[in-house]
Amino acid sequence: MAEQSDVLAEPTGRDFSIRSIINNAGIGLALLGLILFFSIFTEHFLNPNNITNILTQITINLILAVGMTFVILVGGIDLSVGSVMAFAAVVAGKAITLPGFGPTEVILLACIAAVTAGFVCGLLNGLITSYWALPSFIITLGMLNIARGAALHVSDAQTIYSFPFAFEEFGSAQIYGVPVVFLVALALVLLAWFVLNRTVFGRLLYGIGNNEEAVRLAGHPVFWYKVAAFTICGLTAGIAAVVYMARLNIASPIAGIGFELNAIAAVIIGGTSLSGGRGSVIGTLLGAFIIGVLANGLILIGLSDFMRQMITGVVIIIAVILDYYRARYAKK
Amino acid sequence: MKFMKFAAVAATSIALLAGSANADDKPVVGLIMKSLANEFFQNMLEGAKEHEIKRGDYELRAVGMQNETDFESQINAVENFITQGVDAIVIAPADSRAMVRPLKRAMEAGIVVVNFDVSLDADAKKQQGIDLAFVGPDNRGGAKLAGDALGELLGAGGKVVIIEGNPGADNANERRLGFEDSVKQFGLELLDSRTAHWETEEANTVFSNILTAHPDTQGVMVANDSMAIGVVKALESAGRKDIVVVGFDNIPAVGPMIKDGRMLATVDQFGQAMAANSIDLALGVIAGGPKLEGWVKTPIELVKGN
Amino acid sequence: MVAVQPIGEEISQETDNLLSVTGLKKHFGGVKALDGVSFSLKPGEVHALVGENGAGKSTLIKVLSGVFPFDAGEIILDGAPYTPANPHNAKTHGVQVVHQEFNLLDHLSVAENISIEAMPKTRLGLLDRKEMNRRARVALDAIGLRDVDVRATVQSLGIAHRQLIEIARALQSESTILILDEPTATLTERETKRLFEIVQSIKAKGVTIVFVSHHLNEVFAICDRVTIFRNGKTITTEEISDTTPTGVVRHMVGRKLAEEMEHGIEPHARGDVALGIKDLCVTQNPHDAGISFDLHYGEVLGIAGLVGAGRTELLRGIFGIDPLRSGTIERDGIPVKFSGPRDAIAAGIGFVTEDRKDEGLILEMPIAANISLANMHNVSASGLLRFFKEKQQAREGGKRLKLKYGKITDPASSLSGGNQQKVVLAKWLARNPKILILDEPTRGVDVGAKAEIYAILKGLVREGVALLIVSSEMPELMTLSDRILVLADHQVKGALERSEFSEENILKLAYGQNTNAEGIS
Repeated sequence: MAEQSDVLAEPTGRDFSIRSIINNAGIGLALLGLILFFSIFTEHFLNPNNITNILTQITINLILAVGMTFVILVGGIDLSVGSVMAFAAVVAGKAITLPGFGPTEVILLACIAAVTAGFVCGLLNGLITSYWALPSFIITLGMLNIARGAALHVSDAQTIYSFPFAFEEFGSAQIYGVPVVFLVALALVLLAWFVLNRTVFGRLLYGIGNNEEAVRLAGHPVFWYKVAAFTICGLTAGIAAVVYMARLNIASPIAGIGFELNAIAAVIIGGTSLSGGRGSVIGTLLGAFIIGVLANGLILIGLSDFMRQMITGVVIIIAVILDYYRARYAKK
Repeated sequence: MKFMKFAAVAATSIALLAGSANADDKPVVGLIMKSLANEFFQNMLEGAKEHEIKRGDYELRAVGMQNETDFESQINAVENFITQGVDAIVIAPADSRAMVRPLKRAMEAGIVVVNFDVSLDADAKKQQGIDLAFVGPDNRGGAKLAGDALGELLGAGGKVVIIEGNPGADNANERRLGFEDSVKQFGLELLDSRTAHWETEEANTVFSNILTAHPDTQGVMVANDSMAIGVVKALESAGRKDIVVVGFDNIPAVGPMIKDGRMLATVDQFGQAMAANSIDLALGVIAGGPKLEGWVKTPIELVKGN
Repeated sequence: MVAVQPIGEEISQETDNLLSVTGLKKHFGGVKALDGVSFSLKPGEVHALVGENGAGKSTLIKVLSGVFPFDAGEIILDGAPYTPANPHNAKTHGVQVVHQEFNLLDHLSVAENISIEAMPKTRLGLLDRKEMNRRARVALDAIGLRDVDVRATVQSLGIAHRQLIEIARALQSESTILILDEPTATLTERETKRLFEIVQSIKAKGVTIVFVSHHLNEVFAICDRVTIFRNGKTITTEEISDTTPTGVVRHMVGRKLAEEMEHGIEPHARGDVALGIKDLCVTQNPHDAGISFDLHYGEVLGIAGLVGAGRTELLRGIFGIDPLRSGTIERDGIPVKFSGPRDAIAAGIGFVTEDRKDEGLILEMPIAANISLANMHNVSASGLLRFFKEKQQAREGGKRLKLKYGKITDPASSLSGGNQQKVVLAKWLARNPKILILDEPTRGVDVGAKAEIYAILKGLVREGVALLIVSSEMPELMTLSDRILVLADHQVKGALERSEFSEENILKLAYGQNTNAEGIS
């Protein structure tokens, strides 16, 4: 009897991803609610220029949050991304202002420099955390200081400026009102989604976040997977540095202070569990949107800075509470 | 009791060590700065170091902070300097109230204290019963210089926005008040006033949003140049060439912007020289000169394009 | 076929019942966990609840202890309707549960754990450590645990002691009903005996005990009545004196599985040596001498021993999980070195761990993903997952193991214990291992699934796979094994051939009364 009904109950669709869409529906509705609210109560919210602004403004946070999603999924945390971004930026800033090269060469050089700097910092975070099985919280807190110090050291605490024109163009370019830098971030989201949902690597990252020991006993090199997650996070900090420079045409050693917390907030609001193993990068995308829309809308509505900060905090807490209920509902 | 005794012995031995440290009779000046991550203070430190070599008749010990608001390490630094027995402490306080009490102890220990960059709170000084001069630029006056430049250009009824520094920071407050003075004097209309925490990226974001809410903005008064860069970038990406920006600090990065007219003006408070000037004043007092009094204003200058 | 006890008036008329449950229903989404459960408790009896995993026992216990509310039906406690709002509420009604999963705080002391619900305070409102330790001492003495220091951390104790401390904690408050949820699952024979003595003494104090167990011999040893569950329904309640284990099993599984359980392994040819272990010392081994044995293809080698004899450590050492101090491992006669599970797996070895939840399964992930966890190469191409292949593999594995599941993409946590264990097995079987190591393969598994797992293991042996099995259940070892190696204190105390199998012989060696052999092959 039982066996028969099992066979009949077997579904044919790709319910894994359907389920993840349903899981994200809550956060999507919250975003929709915010958008609706601001559209009604402010004059300019739906103005195409404002939409462009929002997309530009969430780009850096989104890029950092994509990398952060990988780390949080394996049960870690990376507090260093803001500082690593600043370090990558000043290294790239040094490269891009090198005399004696053409603009294409220095831009290429700067991109490589930024991504390499991010890669190295992330790799170190991962190696140290995994090799000694230490809490990533404290290791990346160390890296936060190292990278910030390195950024100040490399730049002599001076803001680096005057970049090639083509680089500035890239930072402000738009396609039908959509900033190119946002498209870069979106491409990263899609790539991350594919890696997490369609590859063995991604599957095992989820597995490690849920039950590291089971994955290890199944013969997988957990060590390197965790290192990879941190390295990806560092890489995204490097990419964020390039976007930062392109957008503002400076490389400041004090850039990105507190960015790690915004990135973590986007990931958590997006429904990824801080203890790892559950969540999605699509949720992270929505989380970054919620933070960006809120920051934008509250200014349009004319709320004071202090109220704005309070409301952002309240929203983070509400999101986590909602996630608690969603997780409970999903279990039943 | 035992502990007290031990502490006393320890204190004496430290004092002895300190005494031997400046045996070559040159006066020792302890310089306490704010965040060296801020290029303004970094430049100031460079200026002080050059000054030490140039004068050659004193020894400089400089300490910087982790960040702008880290007054705890400033208190520690003051205490360390007292223990080391320096001759003068030259300080840019991170908090105008919290630093009063430790500086009072330094003065009681016979150390010449010079307060520069940010003035200590007058009420707090009165309460502690100390009289301490302030050496520094007039942040409010400086901001007003920049604000006036904007006001003159726009004329009465011009619609402006202020981008503030860290809420609670004294120089941020002073600069905002200076901008507001200009607003009043020229009959400008203040549309919005918000903080971007001295940060380029945040200023870019915040100002983009303000611009959406108030597309009729004509001028922006920005409390430092790092933020002004973010504002200029926001204007560029919005394609608005009609809005005028003024900043503060005259950091190198805004040089090109002033030159090509993307910024109207900024204010130079000659930061690099400020620490060195304060040290000169302190050495003057050590050498038996008159006590400093009131507000020793350092020069400020409006920097405009051609 | 089976007589379902009539629901309704007949039971509620019985006025001498301490607790009576009538027509209880509880569903989670579409799953009917309880679908009309009725049973009653007489004051001072020991009442067994038996049934396959997923039959509804755990849900019933959680309803009784206030973890879940129920949807329909009625519970009468002491003549009044009983609807516990939460576990605390249930406790104030005198209903205490000792759960299968421990609710102890590992880093706190035994005394702190026992007093956690009501810490004694001094007049100043500070923690009264002395009084706390005294109360804990009394509570432990009451159940005969005189050898445990109340100041020791729970972490430092064995699993059996933890169980007993849970019981001591439950008994500390006034309880009229004590529910023991599979209390013997992790206990050795001797510890079980001790538990039974304690149960008897509690019973003598007038406490009514509900005893949930998979071990019918235990049920028949200490219980007065037994209620049998199947598919969320109560099948029947019987006096122990009126029934037999075979009868109970028939009610439980609804099919004639009892015979399968009785069958031993049929005689078969032993192949070449698959795994040669020579003087293997794990780091926990206090002695210089290690463990040696040979495991042949088509052979089941059982490993017996008390808790702490070093059985699990040995298996983990062989599989390359923990580093070895010394010794060699030969695979097909060739010396090998496993620097991690990866190497062992590559050498054709699989390892079904003792701890399903912490080491075997990723509970939150789909059944299919769990089955493919050790077989990623089967279900992927150049690093990309092939979902169709993955589901196919899972369905095939499920069919082979008679896995009962809703959807193959449901999380593994949705399965009952027995089915979860089958998923772990399916994960390894999909690799077609030459050697399969199993640590407590049927812990927390119900009778039906147990029989099915036995049948699978026997099938594997027929195919020539070498099995190395550690189990605390001696009947299990004696049913499955060709030979049994008895360990004590990280040493081989003896080896028994099939003809020598008896619980007495195993125990004699396990308690170190016979040291006739060191290395056996």
